[in-house]
Amino acid sequence: MQDIEELKFVLVIATLAMLLMAFFVISFVMLYQKKKFEAEKKLNEVEKGHNKRLLDTALDSEETERRRIAQDLHDDIGTMLSLTKLSLNQLNKIALESDSKERALIRKSQSLVEETILHVRRITRDLVPTTLERFGLSEAISEFINKLEADNQLKISFHSNADEFPRQQQKVELTLYRIMQELVNNAIKHAKCTFIEIELEVTTEFLFLRVTDNGIGFDAQQLKDSNMTGLGLLGIESRLAIINGIVRYVSPATGGSMAIAQIPVAPVTAGKPEPLHPYKRARIS
Amino acid sequence: MFDNYIGLCMRHPLQCIPVFITLIPLLILIKKEAYVIAPYLILLIFLITKLAIDLAMFHLAANRINNIILYNLSLPISYTLLAGMFIYKLDSGVLKRLVATSIVAFAIFSVWDMLNVNPQLEDNHHHAMVPYASTIQCILMLLWILLYFYELMKSMKVPNLFTSTFFWICCGLLLYYSSFVFIAPVLHYTEKWDNPLSIGFAANISYLFEIFYLIMMSIGLMNFQKHNYARH
Repeated sequence: MQDIEELKFVLVIATLAMLLMAFFVISFVMLYQKKKFEAEKKLNEVEKGHNKRLLDTALDSEETERRRIAQDLHDDIGTMLSLTKLSLNQLNKIALESDSKERALIRKSQSLVEETILHVRRITRDLVPTTLERFGLSEAISEFINKLEADNQLKISFHSNADEFPRQQQKVELTLYRIMQELVNNAIKHAKCTFIEIELEVTTEFLFLRVTDNGIGFDAQQLKDSNMTGLGLLGIESRLAIINGIVRYVSPATGGSMAIAQIPVAPVTAGKPEPLHPYKRARIS
Repeated sequence: MFDNYIGLCMRHPLQCIPVFITLIPLLILIKKEAYVIAPYLILLIFLITKLAIDLAMFHLAANRINNIILYNLSLPISYTLLAGMFIYKLDSGVLKRLVATSIVAFAIFSVWDMLNVNPQLEDNHHHAMVPYASTIQCILMLLWILLYFYELMKSMKVPNLFTSTFFWICCGLLLYYSSFVFIAPVLHYTEKWDNPLSIGFAANISYLFEIFYLIMMSIGLMNFQKHNYARH
């Protein structure tokens, strides 16, 4: 009888021990899995943050380099060209009494130098959009459109309500400006369009930039799937990723294509934004 | 007839509950259409077989007829079906082959075990429980479950274990077989028609955990989402 009691006791204890072990195993698997996923998530976030910083630095360096080139063009080449123009003016006065052949040569040189000065100015402005810094996004886009319409047989319309809202952060404005440039250039180069519509809409939460063309259109997903996405589209996504923005490509029913960039409105900093003026040396941080 | 059933339920409620609780995971599995996935189709067959055998045993017990032969016969069937799920769920090819081999080996062993203990099969009244097959089934099932957990931790393929159907099923089975592994060999000596031995409540622990594993199986199947397994 005592043996039976002992057997019962041993059985209950052994079963309880096994059950405890089973509970321990289940808890261990769940905790281990949870911890491992958390660690992986953290690692991904760190990696994402690091990539974002790298990209940010690369884009900052690009802007800094643009400013440096613009500054060198303005300070060095611009000054030298101005001096050359002055010298040619003086030479023109001296050669006033000379025969018409020499004067014609001088005048030709003068017009060439003036043309070169204009080109240098244009390149300098293209490199650093000074209008953006001084007058804001709407004005900068309008200026860009005016230049494009003058150079191409293209009709571009632009609507914006940005003037009704305070200015955005310099980085946001510059990013939107560069994206607009890229999208318009893409439309001209690839879409074979005759009309482009640019819309800049600012709400209390988001900034929307819509670029619509009446060209041949494209399927962004198909391009991505076939790894045919050019540097332009990747560049747009990378620039937007830094300021937590997204881009969508839509094929309107009327044909052509529409790109919509959406950026959250960042709180405006109290300090004055760093000027984009080409004549100021940028600090490389 | 019904008096016998009700009488049995009144006398041994803990032993009778698992018979009917089997219906819960079975109905959930059918409602969720989980059978479209091979391992859960095997689970469906297991639950139907279990229900049929349990009902047959319930009927025999209610009519005071020895039903242990059905239990002995259910061992290779239940192991084949439960271990069969692991063939689909384990990633390692070696382990898949091991599970498949164990199914064949266990079927042969359990039949031998039954014949060894009961040389006169026609004597149903004195038919005894197998002494080794139950324990070996417990050990093998615990092994496959632990190996599945090991692969799960290594591969990190399930982000949220609470929503994983098979994880719930494995947890239920792990607890059930852990509770049964020491009791199973003792039942060979206690579960006999003219038996003076009784291990008291210890004999009921496995029934308790059978209910528990069926409930856990039901929870797991509730989490089943058919579209997660849709073919791309």
